[in-house]
Amino acid sequence: MKTITIANRNNTVYKVKGKRPLLSELRSLGLVLPYGCQYGGCITCAAKLIKGKVDQKSQVALNNRQINDGYVILCVARAKTNCTFDIGVESHDKLYRNPFIDPLEPHELKADIATCREIKHD
Amino acid sequence: MEGLCCGPGYASPSEAIKAPSEKLLYTIAIYTGTGIQKPDYLATIDVDPNSESYSKVIHRLEMPGIGDELHHMGWNACSSCHDDNSMSRKYLLVPGVRSNNIYVVDTASNPKAPNLYKVIQGSEIKSKTNLSGPHTVHCLGSEIIISFLGDAKGEAPGGYLHLNKDFEIIGRWENSMGDIPFSYDFWYQPRHNVMVSSEWAAPNTFMPGFDLEEVGHLKYGRRLHIWDFKKKKPIQTMYLGEDGLIPLEVKFLHNPNSSHGFCGAALSANVIHFWKTKNDSWEWEKIIDIDNEPHPDWPIPIPGVMSALLVSMDDKYLYINNWLHGDMRQYNITDPHNPILTGQVWMGGLLGKAPKVNGVKVAGGPQMYQLSLDGKRMYVTTSLFSTWDNQFYPDIRTNGGVMLMIDCDVKNGGMKINKDFVVNFGDEPNGPSRCHESRYPGGDCTSDIWL
Repeated sequence: MKTITIANRNNTVYKVKGKRPLLSELRSLGLVLPYGCQYGGCITCAAKLIKGKVDQKSQVALNNRQINDGYVILCVARAKTNCTFDIGVESHDKLYRNPFIDPLEPHELKADIATCREIKHD
Repeated sequence: MEGLCCGPGYASPSEAIKAPSEKLLYTIAIYTGTGIQKPDYLATIDVDPNSESYSKVIHRLEMPGIGDELHHMGWNACSSCHDDNSMSRKYLLVPGVRSNNIYVVDTASNPKAPNLYKVIQGSEIKSKTNLSGPHTVHCLGSEIIISFLGDAKGEAPGGYLHLNKDFEIIGRWENSMGDIPFSYDFWYQPRHNVMVSSEWAAPNTFMPGFDLEEVGHLKYGRRLHIWDFKKKKPIQTMYLGEDGLIPLEVKFLHNPNSSHGFCGAALSANVIHFWKTKNDSWEWEKIIDIDNEPHPDWPIPIPGVMSALLVSMDDKYLYINNWLHGDMRQYNITDPHNPILTGQVWMGGLLGKAPKVNGVKVAGGPQMYQLSLDGKRMYVTTSLFSTWDNQFYPDIRTNGGVMLMIDCDVKNGGMKINKDFVVNFGDEPNGPSRCHESRYPGGDCTSDIWL
């Protein structure tokens, strides 16, 4: 079992098995979460990982800057360790970016088009 | 009048123009992406100036779950089956872009308070047709086709879902996607046996938000496609290049004999005009080019983002929006090669020209609009797509969307924001929601096609 702490919900704690995606595990434990496509493509369910490790290799929505800022697509991510998250739109401060004011560097694009450069993984 | 003699709609565009004025609108309102954990809904808006609840939301039909992102919609029937008296314009098909569900809403039993008649589950659509990301709904005689932007995993180019009149899945409509890389909007003109389709991007590209760099990596569209409508396959590609970056809405003139049509290229902020030549091939030209505008805080000038486009029922006026600039424009297109700017109004936008309209702070810019059959009343909403709204207009989270009405002068040209009409979706009972596409029960300027 993994312990999932939701920092911006008074550090509420949930115990999950880590076998199913976090969205589904946390919702079945009664946590209300936003979601949309449920296949890792649309960003609606993004949360910010503060501590811990997840496996979210099937997500296709995040660019590398968002990943480096700690964002996790809960509908496909599985907990690999105990984790602490901020959830909901309050955690989205760095998720949305005006692309004309703040462009991405070539290594910050989505994985399929980013240029090679070592990317920091939590 | 609709329903007196025959099936739905009207015998011709000129008959449609004579229809009674709309009294109700159906408008999509979303909570997806707003942080409010409530279902998206279909709002009924009272637009009868003699009613006490004029300019108010009078009913909200909530969808069964959250996270759909309702977006565009369409009717089960239109003037394309006007001579079939077994059909009626009764059901609105409302797809969820993110959930893939299609909601069939009965608007006829109680027009003010429509009810949910059927749900076509997104999972069933994916398993039977390998499609996701539904967008444009057109009826087609008594049947229905819906464009989808991706396959079941959200990769381009998607394709077309074919439903029968009982809303059962027949399968894929098209026989071939040819080498089309992306899908989005489509319109058909049966007397020319033609359909035209445009290109946004794969759902996995546009749903998380807009990365400008992905345009250069060819993740966004820049082509229009001409289809053999009967053979259900593409026959000609018009490569628009830099003039046509992200070509979104496509419309033919309403006159069923005409082959002239228009597309708004959102990022280039150009109007592309296309038509059939004497030797049956299709040509295109850029007829309107909106300059990017400087902004004190931006390193590069702001593009207009022409996300929609609409033709009045008399085919005299073309309407366009610039979502980031904040203006709506009216052009006289009597000569479709040489449009003349005849009207312009401002609401919201990033240039600061009209931050407040009719007492309401406008977060967002003019985005979706619908025009009355007589061409005189245009209803405009301000939200584009939840993730894109959040990037460009973060204030829309707390302010919600706004609907305004523009009085359009159909005789001399001209546009004026009506002072008496404003629907502030920031004041909705469950918190600020965002309004998007609208349809009028008796028909409007994007619902009917004539065979």
